[in-house]
Amino acid sequence: MNEKELRALVERMVAELAGQAPTPQVKGADYHPTQPEGTNTGCLDDISEIDLRQQYLVPNPRNGAAFQDLKRKTPARIGVGRAGARYKTITMLRVRADHAAAQDSVFSHVDEAFVDQNGWVFCQTLCADKDEYLTRPDRGRRFDEQNQQIIKNTFGVSPKVALVVGDGLSSAAIEANAPDCMEAIRAGLEGYGIQPGKVLFVKYCRVGASDHIGELTGAEVVCMLVGERPGLVTAESMSAYVTYKPYLGIPESKRTVISNIHRQGTTAVEAGAHVAELIKTMLEKKASGIDLKL
Amino acid sequence: MAEELLSVGIDIGTSTTQLVISRLTLENRANPFSVPRISIAKREVCYRSGIHFTPLRSDTVIDAEGVRAIVAEEYEKSGFSREDVSTGAVIITGETARKENAREVLRALSAFAGDFVVATAGPDLESILAARGAGADEYARENHCKVLHFDIGGGTSNLSLYDRGELAATGCLNVGGRLIKLERESGAVTYVSPVLRRLGERGWCPVPAVGERVGPEELAPVVQIMVEALEQAALLRPGTDRLEHFKTEGTRWEPVQAPVLSFSGGVADCIYDPQGDWRAYGDIGVLLGRAIRDSAAFRSVRLRRGAETIRATVVGAGSHSTDLSGSTIFYRGVEFPLKNLPILKLTEEEERGSAADLEGALRAKLGWFADEGGLTQTALALRGSKNPEYRRVKELAQGVCRGLEPLCQEGFFPVLVVEADMAKVLGQAMAPLLEGPLLCLDGVGVDNGDYIDVGAPIANGAVLPVVIKTLVFNKG
Repeated sequence: MNEKELRALVERMVAELAGQAPTPQVKGADYHPTQPEGTNTGCLDDISEIDLRQQYLVPNPRNGAAFQDLKRKTPARIGVGRAGARYKTITMLRVRADHAAAQDSVFSHVDEAFVDQNGWVFCQTLCADKDEYLTRPDRGRRFDEQNQQIIKNTFGVSPKVALVVGDGLSSAAIEANAPDCMEAIRAGLEGYGIQPGKVLFVKYCRVGASDHIGELTGAEVVCMLVGERPGLVTAESMSAYVTYKPYLGIPESKRTVISNIHRQGTTAVEAGAHVAELIKTMLEKKASGIDLKL
Repeated sequence: MAEELLSVGIDIGTSTTQLVISRLTLENRANPFSVPRISIAKREVCYRSGIHFTPLRSDTVIDAEGVRAIVAEEYEKSGFSREDVSTGAVIITGETARKENAREVLRALSAFAGDFVVATAGPDLESILAARGAGADEYARENHCKVLHFDIGGGTSNLSLYDRGELAATGCLNVGGRLIKLERESGAVTYVSPVLRRLGERGWCPVPAVGERVGPEELAPVVQIMVEALEQAALLRPGTDRLEHFKTEGTRWEPVQAPVLSFSGGVADCIYDPQGDWRAYGDIGVLLGRAIRDSAAFRSVRLRRGAETIRATVVGAGSHSTDLSGSTIFYRGVEFPLKNLPILKLTEEEERGSAADLEGALRAKLGWFADEGGLTQTALALRGSKNPEYRRVKELAQGVCRGLEPLCQEGFFPVLVVEADMAKVLGQAMAPLLEGPLLCLDGVGVDNGDYIDVGAPIANGAVLPVVIKTLVFNKG
């Protein structure tokens, strides 16, 4: 086989794999595509754009309107119909797309330009890369000498509040929610007469990094926005962990958490307003977690 | 967290006056690791008064003292004091609302029956409360269907259509059991309502005159025409002539077919538990109930008896008039309760505008209010957006603050009622821009022409009880 033939073969294989050429199992006149071929724009529709709560795939339902009413209440993949004993193609592709999005948000990085744009101060935990971050949770909670200095310079000595954004397990969550949420927190705090100070961004960040930051700065409250472990419903869910006077070894029960901050949950701005008030309450009551009676 | 709230409902209707006291249980439905979401988990009636005839001094004047005495006596019997009751509604319904001194009676009672008790009248609200009291809205939600509810009282029938739990339409007809009254022993007619007298004038059927002695046969044609009006409203009979005749002023009811019809009101009892003696109440209620039961048209659809019948409206007023705001809200320096705030709502397009556009639109609309009789404390209603950027929230805050300046100069303060979940952030963004009181709440959808009452914060200050008084539902 010469080079030309090889090239032609590879091109054909690639074309087949990309699904551009139909590969009918039956030949000639027996072949009837069940679905029309895609549009001719050269672009496939983004199936992850479809709102699952409104996608109802059962043909000839007895009471479709009622089922759709129920579907509106849950992101679960129900009412998806079937093809023989299996899911329909669109359902299967969507599960795979959502799973891919979840994996992507774990393995991708928050862009450093994005950090600068928002005026956040960049620092990094002891982790050198994603692999280490995922396999060594302990190293995602501590900082080296150089980064400790950055943290001290950012917050000064004994600030009322230290605002932190950490990538955590979803970079997508941070990019989707953190800027608006942080702006709402800062404006809210200013309204309550609390100086918000600068915002620190932590790469390869675990929630426990709050404790080292508290220890280094003597901050009264450390508030950290961090990307949640993504699921198939959304890869963009963020949490706020707020701790009163954290120190190394503080019990987890002393943290207050507001979870499910995303487009379909609590919106970024409203959560920010809620967190600002929460911080004010913590400063007044000098407590967080289960010690804080709201 | 389980907090309880006592709510009173007092209904002064055409024929009867009733009172119920309900217990509303609040619950945080969100998990402990997210933003709270407090809602009313349970509404139960814990005291039902007797059913009293509404005391009247004449055909046009309510005996205010008499009504007051009934309420005082029922409170006594219930064992609750007015201090225990924190919310509720006093409503004047049906023909009674058209009496000369209706407003006075309301005022006297609402001061008497607790701090945050709403006094109101209006057929749209009455329709809503009756349907909710009878559980028609819940049935429509649970069964994902349309339910057309009729609350047939003494003077009027209140119609409401619920489509899968959402209110779709309300209306009111002059169809009721006490439009003709007669002496129980002799059967002599003592009163005929003008709307029925006009039936005779139009030549549709013979209408008995006052003083005449009548039996069921003489009354049947009149009752039949009333039933036909109801059938036309439910699209079970062709035409709209009967319907048009009985519509009250301001009612715009499009005939609509629903798979389920439900009934409440005093006449509903006569549909399901027919009285042997048709003159039992000295009116035509029993005959009307029987005629509805015997109607072939009504038999062709599913009929559902309301969870409440004669008490539907008062249970609605007691248990269902109060709702809660969203659980992330903002208030500063506000003296609760706030009562009868008219709603000013911008169009969707105006709301989307820049800060300057918003300011302009608001000032123009406030100018309108000012021309019509001076500014009053008004609530601004916004739709809000689902997942706004902070930049947009700030813009909205600036536009609203500047636009509402004329209101603030008159000594009033900004009250914002937002539909989407964004009141807290909007309130916090507005707070530094102005001095003095400020209230921002969400989770409440209202429209121009509505009025809103806001009670003092409950559940550790997390939510506000609100009562929306829909006076004009037919929005065209």
